[in-house]
Amino acid sequence: MLKIIASYFFIIFGIATLWVSTSHSVMEYLLNKRDNHEWWGLNQLNHGDLASICYLEYLNKFAITDTTSLKHSRYDGPKNTVLFIHGDSYLMNIHDWIFSGISSFNHVGWNNTLHYHLDTSKRNVLVIEVAERTVRSYFGTTEIIDELCDTTMQKKSTAFRPCSTTQGIRYSSFFTEIRVSDFFNKFINQNLECNLFNYRFIIPMFGAKAAINYYLFSRASGDAVISKNKQFLLYKRTLDRTDINSSFCPLSKEEITKLVNNFNTIYDYYTATGFKEIYLSIIPSTVTVVEPEGYNNLIPAIQNDPRLKMKVIDAYDVLKRSPEKYFLRGDTHWNVYGQQKWVDMVNGVITKEANSK
Amino acid sequence: MTFNSLQFLVFFMVVTLWYFRLKNQKGRIWLLLIASCYFYMSFIPEYILILGGTIIVDYFAGLLIEKSEAGKRKFWLITSLIANIGALAVFKYYNFFIDNIHTGFLFFGKPLSLPLLKMALPIGLSFHTFQAMSYTIEVYRRKQAAERNFVAYALYVMFYPQLVAGPIERPQNVLPQLKEFRPYNWDNVKEGLARMLWGFFKKVVIADRLAMVVERTYGHVHDSSSLALFTGAVFYSFQIYCDFSGYSDIALGAAKVMNIRLMENFKQPYLSHSISNFWTRWHVSLSSWFRDYVYIPLGGNRKGEWRRKLNVMIVFLLSGLWHGANWTFVVWGLLHGLLVILLTRKTQQEPERRNKLINALWMLSTFILVTFLWIFFRSENIGAAWAYIKEIFALRGGSNYLGFNSRNELYFSILVIAIMLYREKFLPGHFITNNIRFYCFTAMMVLICYFFGVFAENQFIYFQF
Repeated sequence: MLKIIASYFFIIFGIATLWVSTSHSVMEYLLNKRDNHEWWGLNQLNHGDLASICYLEYLNKFAITDTTSLKHSRYDGPKNTVLFIHGDSYLMNIHDWIFSGISSFNHVGWNNTLHYHLDTSKRNVLVIEVAERTVRSYFGTTEIIDELCDTTMQKKSTAFRPCSTTQGIRYSSFFTEIRVSDFFNKFINQNLECNLFNYRFIIPMFGAKAAINYYLFSRASGDAVISKNKQFLLYKRTLDRTDINSSFCPLSKEEITKLVNNFNTIYDYYTATGFKEIYLSIIPSTVTVVEPEGYNNLIPAIQNDPRLKMKVIDAYDVLKRSPEKYFLRGDTHWNVYGQQKWVDMVNGVITKEANSK
Repeated sequence: MTFNSLQFLVFFMVVTLWYFRLKNQKGRIWLLLIASCYFYMSFIPEYILILGGTIIVDYFAGLLIEKSEAGKRKFWLITSLIANIGALAVFKYYNFFIDNIHTGFLFFGKPLSLPLLKMALPIGLSFHTFQAMSYTIEVYRRKQAAERNFVAYALYVMFYPQLVAGPIERPQNVLPQLKEFRPYNWDNVKEGLARMLWGFFKKVVIADRLAMVVERTYGHVHDSSSLALFTGAVFYSFQIYCDFSGYSDIALGAAKVMNIRLMENFKQPYLSHSISNFWTRWHVSLSSWFRDYVYIPLGGNRKGEWRRKLNVMIVFLLSGLWHGANWTFVVWGLLHGLLVILLTRKTQQEPERRNKLINALWMLSTFILVTFLWIFFRSENIGAAWAYIKEIFALRGGSNYLGFNSRNELYFSILVIAIMLYREKFLPGHFITNNIRFYCFTAMMVLICYFFGVFAENQFIYFQF
């Protein structure tokens, strides 16, 4: 009798798990219900996105331990600049008090819309910051122009998410919403892993596997790869020559022309809407500066192109000199020193131009 | 849904438990058919229409062949064969054919542009069309009664454990088992699960680990040392074996859990003492298919030595083409055929009467020959294969990097290959009958697969055929 009950339980449990993992909307609903501070919560990326994804967050070598924060600006000159920044996860947690000479500050991520009201009595400056790994996939298409130049459209999220979901589905209808394509959802294995194993109390077991493979084979799993000097975790896609997010994926002259033209179209649009200055800043992938051999030269090719209308804030030239100092070891991003360096460069540009007026 | 995915594990659990809860065979057949449809559709849903189409044609062809006499029997058989081979020709060989026409015209300075088919090859097309053809041929030969029950016939073609990568079954073996009510048997469950775990071990611990070396060496032919390239070639031999035989182990194990016995597909092929012996041990269900339905009908060895040689070459040419629409597979097949013809007589001198050292040397030389031929199988094109072989024989230095970050991983790979060979040589079949040992074995294999498995959702190599 017990066997029969158990077998029915597992049949129902299995079907329910497959169904839940198949449905985008149910997954979205469940993810929002999970309290990530409790034992049943999702594994967080607090210790570095790559370190957490490959469960090497328990190794101090890769975990984020530095609690230094960005410095307050000590500039006391004229504040006649309105600064707009359209950026990505490299600029998470930035505040107005780090910038110099600004009267107002607006920052939006790529997944949000830049709502701007220009103050015509001030100098309006726009900084477009973008990670190198996303330059080709974002700016290689004309969609980005539509998105950037049309404030009514929502942007797609580029942030790491532990489980795959589709945005924009209303939760209220998920019990009635049936789509044939859902039954053969290609993300089902990620969703199953999330539903069956991504709980904080199970994570130490994943950590044990990761540690065994790290110490025994010097290897990380999933999307993370250990750098040749063993000091950094690198995002796998940035190394894969066949992936356009990679720093090693071959780049043609035609593609550079297309990228520059797209940047110029965006420049023309924002100039026409009243922006005084528009800057482009491409932040190099960690692998670009840590293992530059075979680099496809994407950043120099764009920045040094004489046809590019935007002015450049050249983070690449500065950061490549000491990657150990400016990049996190278990994360795809820079550390606070790298961020500070970039902020100093932006401040330099703002104050220099302001003082020269 | 690959076998090495979480989706499959949950799917297998649900289907198997449900299967044993059903008390009549009709319900079980329906359950397995629906499950098999879901399994197949989880790759690309639309392709089930192609599979469904050939199933309907072959089902009615079987009935009509049985009902008809003489010429009409042949007509219905040919209709069925055309439907199956036609599906293969269109979806697998059309683009290859057109590409070659383009190349031919270009060679004579007259470029031509014919339309190409822009769709991926349906998963496992070669496997299920061959299995379907074996049914209609057997009905034609009066060795199998035409199946009246459409659901049972559809399940014969679509039975999920062997749907996408074999074994290519015969109706006499599978149809009666599918139609008969087979009770739950704990010994079969143990044997099936143990075999599945062994298959997972071969796939995720060995094959997917060796794949890192193979991808590295085949991707860096010109800057790798000859030693690294040779190691890559040897590792590919084990990768493809562990990948394909691992799949077969999981397929046979999954069927065994449900008390259904499928054909053995591998018999320690790397212990073969000759190339012809290799082909009685490697992908047995395919080589026996070609033997029964091509080689023997062509006359086999009954029409003289030259005709035998021609028949062998035809079979290996078709075998090469069966694996893929690329000249690399054609060359691979023809070279195997050539070696079978050239070496058969010399090596068929009763191996058991030779001393162990001589036997070991024959085995080693056969393994090396097979390994070099796999280079054609793995390479993108014949030029790349030839370059790979040339660089091995150049005996030059270069990068010895194998894609492993640590020597430990190389030693570990060699260790697990040795364990696999030892186990299959000295502990073949199901050797765990005791319950306690079974639980220990299961726990150990789960832990090994988890801690030492390489999980990157890699598909099985033979899915592409």
